[in-house]
Amino acid sequence: MTDAVNTDRWIRRLNLVQLVLAGIIIMAPTVWMVLSSFKPSFEVTAYPPTLVFTPTLDNYVELTKTTPFLSYALNSLIVTVGSTALGLLFGIPAAFAVSWTRITWPAILTLAARMAPGTLFLLPWYVMFRQVGMIGSYTALILSHAVITLPIVIWVLLPSFDGIPRSIFEAAQVDGCRVTRILWRIALPLVASGVAVAAILAFVFSWNYFLFALVLSNGDTKTLIAAAFNFIGEGSTQWGALMAAATLIALPPLVLAALVQRWLVSGLTLGAVKG
Amino acid sequence: MASISIRNLVKRYGNFTVIPDLNLEIADHEFVVFVGPSGCGKSTLLRIIAGLEPISSGDLYIGDKRVNGVQAARRDIAMVFQDYALYPHMRVYDNMSFALELRGTPKAEIDARVKRAAALLHIEPYLDRKPKELSGGQRQRVAMGRAIVRNPKAFLFDEPLSNLDAKLRGQVRAEIKALSQELKTTMVFVTHDQIEAMTMADRIVVLQSGTIQQYDTPETVYERPANQFVAGFIGSPAMNFFAVEWLEERAILSQGGATLPLDGETAGRLRQAGSAVVGVRPEHFAIAPDAADGIAIDVKLVEPLGSDTLIHFDLAGVSSIARVDPSLRPKVGDRLGLRPQAGKTHLFDATNGQVLR
Repeated sequence: MTDAVNTDRWIRRLNLVQLVLAGIIIMAPTVWMVLSSFKPSFEVTAYPPTLVFTPTLDNYVELTKTTPFLSYALNSLIVTVGSTALGLLFGIPAAFAVSWTRITWPAILTLAARMAPGTLFLLPWYVMFRQVGMIGSYTALILSHAVITLPIVIWVLLPSFDGIPRSIFEAAQVDGCRVTRILWRIALPLVASGVAVAAILAFVFSWNYFLFALVLSNGDTKTLIAAAFNFIGEGSTQWGALMAAATLIALPPLVLAALVQRWLVSGLTLGAVKG
Repeated sequence: MASISIRNLVKRYGNFTVIPDLNLEIADHEFVVFVGPSGCGKSTLLRIIAGLEPISSGDLYIGDKRVNGVQAARRDIAMVFQDYALYPHMRVYDNMSFALELRGTPKAEIDARVKRAAALLHIEPYLDRKPKELSGGQRQRVAMGRAIVRNPKAFLFDEPLSNLDAKLRGQVRAEIKALSQELKTTMVFVTHDQIEAMTMADRIVVLQSGTIQQYDTPETVYERPANQFVAGFIGSPAMNFFAVEWLEERAILSQGGATLPLDGETAGRLRQAGSAVVGVRPEHFAIAPDAADGIAIDVKLVEPLGSDTLIHFDLAGVSSIARVDPSLRPKVGDRLGLRPQAGKTHLFDATNGQVLR
């Protein structure tokens, strides 16, 4: 009995050490990035790194003065919101249809598409969009990013829809609902938390996606993540401004990711059925 | 309000046939209970009527209309589910008004109907609550209220009492019975509980393996079961069965060789058959004043229930029960003389289980 208690205690301590180590490994680059964005430019690349410094907003000021940062941010917002909305528009009915019919191959197909490397889509799209004169348009970027958002929406919502007791849908059928109305009036309100999670995850993944924006955008539609790439020059790199840009780019996903946690647990279906 | 007519209905899942060929007529305003063991097809049959399961072949009529291909949403029937199936994101009021709203019923009428149903079911104080804020019994009432407000052609109940405790089950059972008398609507009720079937039904459909074993009034099903399955399924404790042969002008138990005292009419039928299975309900055993007048049994277990006493005993290798007057309190190991009451024994064909009349 005592041995078992001691073993448990050691396992808990080891878990804690693992968590702390993992936390340091994951967070160190982020902390370093944020701290560097507030350092004077000569200190950003100093070796050994300085931990005590006088914080400054110079990097942020320089970023906004030397680049159309707000335009890029707006581009990112348009593409991300557009592709997230597109993902939700098609992903919600698709997930519901898969759950309703229990035919899963379409969902597996979208997952396979998500797992395939982006270059697989990029070349055909580039050719297609160029032929119809859409290279550099928001539409091309939004459509291309839907390949990221759609599978996320489907796969986040599928277990949510599956989790609704079938009898609730059957009750709605008997009450006079057809399938589309069951989706909008019954199923969707019950998976509201899942929709929020799916929307936020789709937003984050789309916001962070680099490859499509790099190739399919132009100067007017370049997204933040692709624009930040331009700060890395062949001769000199503006590390301070780059850190400031990276911090600002990372901010919305970080905030939204924190919000997701609050949505993950939901007791909405409590009381729907027995128990 | 409408009759329900099922003609040559077949239901298959792939190669597995759940209902081989079923014919059933439910009259307008009738309260019919489908009863049978798990897997007998009773819930499948109800779901077919509701339009939640397609028919493999055959015809289903609600009123005069053939509804084989008609969606559940267009059948104008209401259903109460075993797990209540309330809409968790809607208030009780909205749960009840939802179907009316879909049909475009004017708001004032919806309000009047919901309030009338709520009053009938004593759920007025809960109209603004969400289902999760209600007890099991209250949720069950809401589920019934949702059905009642629609004034449908028929009500379907799929084991609606199985999740309630024994006391509440008895109470709701009585309420449903009272509702059926007040609403005067066709009702089909599925249960595996033969007490629910006996107490509520105008007619009972006893099902086994997707086949109707008997379709009749509760009294007839109890008093004149069509076969050994129905006899064993209806009645609690279940009927006792003993294999007997007619030898030397007496009914002899096939195992043990003791004589089973039968009344003249039953003995006559056994004489014709030669051998059969005799069925005696526990309540139809009488204590023989003289042990020689009955059949001697050794008491194995005594269960005093207050209103009566159950005596367990082995007879002809069959574990049997007799229900006797509560004043009789034999002890385990006592020897008693029992005899079936005259006119209360049932005789079944030993090979196919059909009743011998």
